[in-house]
Amino acid sequence: MVAKLDTQTRRWDDSTNSTSTTPSTYSSDSSSLDSNEDGDSSDELTQPPPTSTSEKAYGTLHSEFGHCLNQEYRRTSRHTLGSPVKTAEEHDPPYYILLSTYVSYLFLICIGHMRDFFGKRLTATNYIHLMSHDGYAALNSDFDSFYTRRLKQRIDDLFSRPVTGVPGRTIMLLDREFSANNTNQHLTGTRTRALNISSYNYLGFAQATGGCADAVEEGIRQYGVSACGARLEGGSVDFHMQAEKLVARFVGMEDSLLSSMGFATNSTIIPALCGRGSLVISDELNHASIRFGVRLSGASVRMFKHNDMESLEALLREVISQGQPRTHRSWRKIVVIVEGLYSMEGTLVNLPGIMALKDKYKFYLFVDEAHSIGALGPHGRGVADYFSISPRRIDILMGTFTKSFGAAGGYIAGSKTLIDSLRAHGHSGAYAESMSPPVLTQVIASMASIMGVEPPLPPHSPRTYVNGHANADRRAIEAYDYPGTAPTSLLPQWLSLPPHLRDGSEGRERLRRLAFNARYLSIGLQKLGFITYGHPDSPIIPLLLFNPGKMPAFSRMMLARKTPIVVVVVAYPATPLVTSRVRFCVSASHTKADVDTLLRACDEIGDALDLKHGPGKRWSVERVIEHAVELVRGEVE
Amino acid sequence: MDDVEAALKPVVYYLSYALAAAEYSFYKIPGSAVIARYVKSSHQNDPGRTLLELLLVIFAISTLLHSRTRADKSGRHFIKFTEKEIDELVDEWNPEPLAQPLDEDEQADLAAVPVIAGASGPRPTLVGTGKTVLNLASYNFAGLAGNETIKDRAIETLRKYGLGSCGPPGFYGTIDVHMDLERDIASFLGTEAAILYSQGFSTISSVIPAFCKRGDVIVVDRGVNFAIQKGIQISRSTIRWFDHNDLNSLVEVLEGVEKERRKRKGPLTRRFIVTEGVFENDGKMVDLPKLIELKLKYKYRLILDESFSFGTTGRTGRGLTEFYNIPASQVDMLVGSVANGLNSSGGFCAGSKVVVDHQRINGTSFVFSAAMPALLAVSASEGIRILQNSPQTGVLERLRENVRAVRGVLGGVRCVEIPSCEESAIVHLYIRSSSSEEDQSYLTTTSAKNNPTSAQPRNPPTFHIASEERLLQHIVAECLSHGVMVTRAKRLRGQEMVEPRPSIKLALSAALKREECVFAATVIGDAFVRVLEGEGRMGVAK
Repeated sequence: MVAKLDTQTRRWDDSTNSTSTTPSTYSSDSSSLDSNEDGDSSDELTQPPPTSTSEKAYGTLHSEFGHCLNQEYRRTSRHTLGSPVKTAEEHDPPYYILLSTYVSYLFLICIGHMRDFFGKRLTATNYIHLMSHDGYAALNSDFDSFYTRRLKQRIDDLFSRPVTGVPGRTIMLLDREFSANNTNQHLTGTRTRALNISSYNYLGFAQATGGCADAVEEGIRQYGVSACGARLEGGSVDFHMQAEKLVARFVGMEDSLLSSMGFATNSTIIPALCGRGSLVISDELNHASIRFGVRLSGASVRMFKHNDMESLEALLREVISQGQPRTHRSWRKIVVIVEGLYSMEGTLVNLPGIMALKDKYKFYLFVDEAHSIGALGPHGRGVADYFSISPRRIDILMGTFTKSFGAAGGYIAGSKTLIDSLRAHGHSGAYAESMSPPVLTQVIASMASIMGVEPPLPPHSPRTYVNGHANADRRAIEAYDYPGTAPTSLLPQWLSLPPHLRDGSEGRERLRRLAFNARYLSIGLQKLGFITYGHPDSPIIPLLLFNPGKMPAFSRMMLARKTPIVVVVVAYPATPLVTSRVRFCVSASHTKADVDTLLRACDEIGDALDLKHGPGKRWSVERVIEHAVELVRGEVE
Repeated sequence: MDDVEAALKPVVYYLSYALAAAEYSFYKIPGSAVIARYVKSSHQNDPGRTLLELLLVIFAISTLLHSRTRADKSGRHFIKFTEKEIDELVDEWNPEPLAQPLDEDEQADLAAVPVIAGASGPRPTLVGTGKTVLNLASYNFAGLAGNETIKDRAIETLRKYGLGSCGPPGFYGTIDVHMDLERDIASFLGTEAAILYSQGFSTISSVIPAFCKRGDVIVVDRGVNFAIQKGIQISRSTIRWFDHNDLNSLVEVLEGVEKERRKRKGPLTRRFIVTEGVFENDGKMVDLPKLIELKLKYKYRLILDESFSFGTTGRTGRGLTEFYNIPASQVDMLVGSVANGLNSSGGFCAGSKVVVDHQRINGTSFVFSAAMPALLAVSASEGIRILQNSPQTGVLERLRENVRAVRGVLGGVRCVEIPSCEESAIVHLYIRSSSSEEDQSYLTTTSAKNNPTSAQPRNPPTFHIASEERLLQHIVAECLSHGVMVTRAKRLRGQEMVEPRPSIKLALSAALKREECVFAATVIGDAFVRVLEGEGRMGVAK
């Protein structure tokens, strides 16, 4: 079945070579591509809506990458220069919500302790691994594991849901059954296809069909699945070098270094950047991998309030004037580590603010673009692109390939001197396995299709942007030259991309679809009256639930709908105690209809669960859906 | 005066009213009468005590508020500057450059890293020279690189799952093929369960801190690999070191810890022994039966890193537990590398269900990292199948045959010392120490006392790192010019806790023919002799 689809896709590719000038579109008979697989029931998740013959459909599998042809539903992700950077406005819920949240936790904790108390006396065998026995201390004491056992276990069905197939626009869940207070689970053998609003698949490159998958197949044929060793020993292939050059070009830096795991990029490289006598200033909400790396580095650490420039400046003034603790010697260097887009909050770093501070306080800036690379900016080059700031003004750019590129691993980009030093002194070069060739192929193919391959460059594509803003802004825009397209010389000879990927047209389309979807969902939810966090252009949209009891209710109700939707709920300890939330990750693969479906679902469930506590005037869901384009363009208030 | 009194009257009146209201509302709080009675009676008995208690309350409140302000600011060392002074200090401050340019040796080293053009395998072509070489540098122990069945399975998986998992295991990143591979590993090894990490190197440095917390005791071998060092560093546990691969020294340390504990009469803490099956740094093998005996006797849990023995050692490559015929369930946390042993990517930790499930919430690099791509998991599962069938296909027998062949040739070369055990598919080659006295001091233990709190051994072996590395690099280049690709064991000098001795690290493969191995070993041996003779080191060695 899969092979058949694949040959079909390629046949279309060939036909479009000769016939169509807009190669990413195909004639509408392509719906046969979406014929059922695995006994899937035919519904809106797998079948594209019927189109009139004058319209064209995508050559993608609708269940992986939705067909959405209306060019109205597009947007360019860019910060309007001169406008202030929106910092998260956090709206507080009514007091009764806060109070009931605290009471809920208190209740859960009391019940948990009671169950422990009686359980230990009545069914001691169940607690044996939590208590000291036979002279062994408990591996995980009953105290340490209390939260996991007594709070998380109650809602274990929301986490680690096993899946199969492509984590694209939709995802196939393997249904589970729980028994014995959620301690046992087994698969029932049935499956549920659900709308996937949870995977980090921003540009929709999680695909088993299409140009990238074809390239990966060729990559496996050529290189096998492993590069067999660490980069500095016997695990370097030419492919790594090519990918590193391309990544450097993509992000606009001199050089880059790849790492086979996103987490390890931070945890093994940061120790090579700074050590004793250096100071790391870290945003309080930075990812665990950054904290892991900083702890290994031996550098001193200070934290500043999330994305708060005043707090950062005050801290900088303090640490520079005070110097190192006790000795008061001046710091050898100060590295400020921030994330481009925060995965739990959806906030966008205030890069212009940080750049202004950087000029004054001479610190080095490390931006972790794990979520923002590919997902933000008119060319998908991350936060620097979004704010029209030259990436070279940032010292270290880090990012991952897991999210926007549908691959795995991560990169560090910077000056040649820096990267060479990290090659020689970073942990991963000498000890960790190098990136595997299929992953490299996916990275190169998806990246090249976002960039577009030179030549040819469509003449209308502007390289610099000049708008009618204040003078300083215009200078900034003129100075900003986005990192550009991929020269053919940087791609492996054998790599053949279909024309719509090669010329970057599909890449642009994906970027524009993502930008629209992100803003539409974010603003739509606000109009419906929900409290959301984060920047309206962020593809990560957290919706606040507050009460712990509403997490399982929300998630289960979403899954039980006629069109099932899978969501991610997060609570303490990943978030502060009161702000439990559900987190949506939109993708370019979603259609406007998908976002409509989601908004309708949220609207209904929001009413049922009393979630609408946001400020401002409420709109009905139909009105939001009808005025989607105006809302995204900011034409209505 | 009357005016003043008149003016104050409403104030006094208001105050007394407020006091009465406060008293009234205070008594409305349930239980307040008890407090009031307590205060009254204690004041009656001992007015000084009231003052003391009041002071205590003030102290408690001030401490509480105090701890919220930053320690630095209020500390003794905080200097108050004016804004202007701070501005000047900021202007004056000049940071060091972010990175120092590499020195010449480092640059040469980086430039000398062999890069393979196209697929890696037993006989790859190199970028630059375009020559085809014999590969004794890449990890391809069971010869799985380029295996057509694995490629087919990988492509099949790609067409069903795409490439990336696009999420951590907790959030829709748990794909059925991951569960299959975990099951495959567990049943292959004979443990209850296994958990998959997406990078081999990051596995153990996450497994250790998942279990070992502040106050726990970890007893570690002095020769452990870098990943373990990082793991114990992040765990913040109490570390005790024993001599490299010396179980007598381990006994001493275990006794010492026990004595310490009895003296302190502290509560029972978690205790772990962390070591490697086959050591990454020199290829020595631990005496597992003895180790298990000790850990059971002293009631320690064992974290065993089998990154270089899983997939190579034992009849079907199950590692040390198979080699010594010990049930794998005896090892509490058995960590292995899917990347090294199965030519895919990632690592695993096998153990009881409790051990594995604990990591699903507490294993940092498991929880906070995307799951590995589906096709790599399937490739690894296929690799296990190939290993299981190895008694029929003779894959691992060929590997052992090749190890024997290489050791046979190089064992006869006077200036080469092989620390690795015969079962190790990684063969380290040292430059044999030039004088015999040094040799002895390295091997024998003198009266110097082992200091378990320090990573440094009591009799640090003497070798000159820079010069030996330079010589070994010459040998590597010499081998390459004769069509044999080998590599120096790359170490981050200055970052390792105990500097491992410079060595050439051969990674043997079942995909090489025996004659090729003999040829390669001869080339390597000749290169050793030629380079060391050129340096005049041979004369001393004789």
